[in-house]
Amino acid sequence: MRKNWRDLLIFAAIAVSVPLTIIILVSLTPDPPVGQVDYAREILSKAGTSGANMYSKKLYTQAKNYYDSAMVNWKNENKRFIYFRDYEKVAFFADLSAKKSTEAANNSVSSSSNLIIKLKQKITTLNDLVTEINTLFTTYPLSSEVRNRISNGKMLLEEGEIAYKKGQYMVANKKITDSEYLLTASYDNATSNLKNYFKSYSTWKNWVYKTLNESKINRDYSIIIDKFSRKCIVYHNGAKKYEFETELGKNWVGVKRVKGDNATPEGMYKITKKMDSGKTKYYKALLIDYPNDEDKARFRAEVEHGTLPSSAKIGGLIEIHGNGGKGIDWTEGCIALSDRDMDVVFKIAKGGTPVTIVGSMLELHDVLER
Amino acid sequence: MKNKVLMGLAAIAMVAFLSSCGKVPQEKIDATNAAITAAQTAEAGVYVPAELTAVQDSMKAINAEVEVQKSKLFKKFGPVTLKLDATLALANKVAADAVAKKAEVKKEVETTLTDIKAVIEENTALMKKAPRGKEGAAVLEQMKTEMATIEASVAEAQGLYDKGSFLDANNKVKAAKERAVGINTELKDAIAKVKGGKAKPAAKK
Repeated sequence: MRKNWRDLLIFAAIAVSVPLTIIILVSLTPDPPVGQVDYAREILSKAGTSGANMYSKKLYTQAKNYYDSAMVNWKNENKRFIYFRDYEKVAFFADLSAKKSTEAANNSVSSSSNLIIKLKQKITTLNDLVTEINTLFTTYPLSSEVRNRISNGKMLLEEGEIAYKKGQYMVANKKITDSEYLLTASYDNATSNLKNYFKSYSTWKNWVYKTLNESKINRDYSIIIDKFSRKCIVYHNGAKKYEFETELGKNWVGVKRVKGDNATPEGMYKITKKMDSGKTKYYKALLIDYPNDEDKARFRAEVEHGTLPSSAKIGGLIEIHGNGGKGIDWTEGCIALSDRDMDVVFKIAKGGTPVTIVGSMLELHDVLER
Repeated sequence: MKNKVLMGLAAIAMVAFLSSCGKVPQEKIDATNAAITAAQTAEAGVYVPAELTAVQDSMKAINAEVEVQKSKLFKKFGPVTLKLDATLALANKVAADAVAKKAEVKKEVETTLTDIKAVIEENTALMKKAPRGKEGAAVLEQMKTEMATIEASVAEAQGLYDKGSFLDANNKVKAAKERAVGINTELKDAIAKVKGGKAKPAAKK
């Protein structure tokens, strides 16, 4: 009987002590920073969704690395005996990750908003630039290299716009930046070339003044060719009488330097010969006295300075002739009019009629504004 | 005395049993990770990036949950196993979606490449008919340069297609097509204007 009581007591002691031990064991177990790690993971995920991996790459990568460090530390701690575990580093890295993720997300939102605004503005600006390039330089003899650059710039702009519409802002940024480089460099190159060309404007203006004055004094006809606007303007008694479209040499910018350069000369000339139908292959023609004394002096100086080879020839046979209306600068330096317009000019012209060829009658500023 | 020893051993065994009843479902973890890798190999990051991110986030949560259980004295991996099953299925779906999306983009590139070749051919024919009046020929010269750029861009897109970069090829060929179609419209408008002009007797001088 006494033995039974003793066994019962032992059993009761065990029944109480086992759960108690378990409770003590559990309560002594160190708690991992679950909430902090979960929060860090959620914030990191949100940062990724907000595009921080693209727009705030450095901060996002740091946040990701800190999260990975937290997990690695957690795994390592879990390998240790349960009561020796210390999750302090896990919590530290998780907090750091959350902090960096928040920074990355905020930074990403502001960066992406700025980028979107910047891209939209750039697209508008570059499209305006393309319009300006088309307006100014469609008929300007740019080098094929510059033309190709402009064309590639336009293509990249198109690709950038497509990426922008799809929300691929980083891709759009790359394409648009490349496009901007090509288009602005080409535009700058072309306008600098143009500005350089217009340095002769005061000379052109003086020639035009003299020609109109001569027309007024002689009460006769004078012809002015404005190369930039491609106009042939006939004056009588100093007043404009007719205005026609012209086509020039393929390489019309600048003075004619040498035979075969396809440039239309610039200077004050006179008609030396009239060639009616049958005497020219260009319907009707008016030969001018290119090269004049100035042209000859300039040519000699160039040969002497070695900027032209000694074997170079100055060229000649520059005419105002028919067969124009092709819509392109196609002559080897002559001025082409449509046959109908040529009839009018041919009728009023005679030997000695002044023909003044200038780069432009308008200043560059006015040309650009126009 | 013998009974006391037996009871003590039974208590220790019970504690040992309780603390080791949960086992990390390593096989399932490995299978899910392999499925995610397969989804990445199928270029899910390129074709269905949001879906891939979602599955990767799920796996991260599972890894954390595994560590939570491993941190406990009494581990319980049942819910983790269920989540692993769901994530494995999701990873397989992401891989399948990536393959489908890639095929869709590939088809789109093929169609656009065929379309643009037809537009280029049509533009070449239209250029011969286009008016060469005032500045017309100069504009045509410019168009020729642009057509050369478009053709180079199409060749580049074809190269990207051949390399399997369908998304990049798609962007490139679409831009080229837009430009080619733009030129096509300009040419048709110019031709129509001339035809319209000729049709109106009042316009004759």
